[in-house]
Amino acid sequence: MSIHPAPPASRTAADHPVELVTEYFGRALDALDDWRGRLAVEIATARADAPLTTDRLDALVEPSALALFDQLDLPVYGSGFIAALDSLADANSHLAWWQGPERAQLVLAAQSVNKEHIDYSELEWYRVPFQTGRPHVAGPYVDYLCSDEYTITVAAPVHVDDEFVGAVALDLLIDQVERHLTPQLAAFGDDISIVNGVGRVLLSTSPARETGDTIRGDDLAGFERFACAGMALDVLIAR
Amino acid sequence: MSLRSPAPRSGKPTRLHSAVFQPIGDEGRAALVERRIAEAIMGGVLAAGERLPAETELAAAFGVAPATAREALLALRERGLIVTRRGRNGGSFIADSADPVRFATRALVDSSRVTLRDAAQHYQAITAACVELAARRADPGEIEMIIARLDRVDDHDLAHWRRASDDAVIELAALSQSARLTREQMRLQGEFSPLLALIDTDPTARADARAHLRAVLAAVADGDPTASVQALRASMRFTVDWLIAYREQHAALPALAPVGPGTGP
Repeated sequence: MSIHPAPPASRTAADHPVELVTEYFGRALDALDDWRGRLAVEIATARADAPLTTDRLDALVEPSALALFDQLDLPVYGSGFIAALDSLADANSHLAWWQGPERAQLVLAAQSVNKEHIDYSELEWYRVPFQTGRPHVAGPYVDYLCSDEYTITVAAPVHVDDEFVGAVALDLLIDQVERHLTPQLAAFGDDISIVNGVGRVLLSTSPARETGDTIRGDDLAGFERFACAGMALDVLIAR
Repeated sequence: MSLRSPAPRSGKPTRLHSAVFQPIGDEGRAALVERRIAEAIMGGVLAAGERLPAETELAAAFGVAPATAREALLALRERGLIVTRRGRNGGSFIADSADPVRFATRALVDSSRVTLRDAAQHYQAITAACVELAARRADPGEIEMIIARLDRVDDHDLAHWRRASDDAVIELAALSQSARLTREQMRLQGEFSPLLALIDTDPTARADARAHLRAVLAAVADGDPTASVQALRASMRFTVDWLIAYREQHAALPALAPVGPGTGP
């Protein structure tokens, strides 16, 4: 199989499936990139006054998190900020997170009851932005912490003076991404699949390829692979 | 075929450990709040001596009125599951007499063998489906992370070990990439966790249970669906045999005296 570089991205009608996919998830990356810069300034300012607590952080994050639901032409299911572990004055970990049709704030027991440590350090949406310092499209995965659904999380690290203070993020449900993207990809006429970094199928225009299955090893021989610039996603087109 | 709707998509997580203090909706009210906390105490999720959030915080966490939270706390106090202390360091605490092993033993002795075996069949059916899919779909690196986390657990700390084992099973289930199966696994894990905690109290059995869990993880990491399901069946056989033997030993157990004032659960 051969790997082609992605054709130049275009904001108008896509000429190639990889452009369409890159532009689609790129909307989330761009919005988060913008937000993380603003939030870094807000956090730095707030910290200059007094140590940052969960309540003060929630107040900083909420307006932008809620705005993200309407601001983007994407089916945003959840949005918010995941604090770096041990970065707050009154809790070891905290998700300032709003989600669902009612955009309700997520309350995790371990945060509300005994301030116990929730260790999200190894979860992809926290680990990758933390380790690489770069935005990341994580998943698809069953999100048993927040949405309880099959989910994609787009996350971008927030730094204050080179210190990682957390990640801004948004959730997209695969159910809704499939409804959005599949008809648009099908219009290209080919057998097209989107896979992530481990070869897991996010969606496919072919009913024969199940979301959640992996395409790897010898199976890849039947496809041409196109990398989506700036995200760990590939578009596979059957030969 | 009739399709039942999946768990609500209203943004209310049902994860095992966090499920306890989630918003409960309008139909719930005091009795549901009471039951949710009582189950968490009897299951050992909330341990003796642990402090409950203040009434207003509790009301906010459950999404109910403060008066509703107060009513639930009153009922829990009457059942002897919590105690209230006044003063500067006051508040509601899980009663010292609330021992999850005692509650689980009672529940096991009170249930029939047929009920226990049926529950175990249900658990095995769901877990086997998860494990089989995970063996086909998971990247070996994803299983290695679960194993590495288990390796870091101090298995002399029984509560920590139980929570880590439950989390490992749920993470494994999530690698099926099926949201429905994962939600069902979380619900069943919540139901079974108190019984599995009984096994943890026996050091030899705990080591055996741990070896069984590792065998399942190893087979999934190998990408072998058949071996994974076989390893899971062996694990369940061990679990059910142990629980039934334990039940026979404790069958003569006298009825529990009430844990405190009131009529008890």
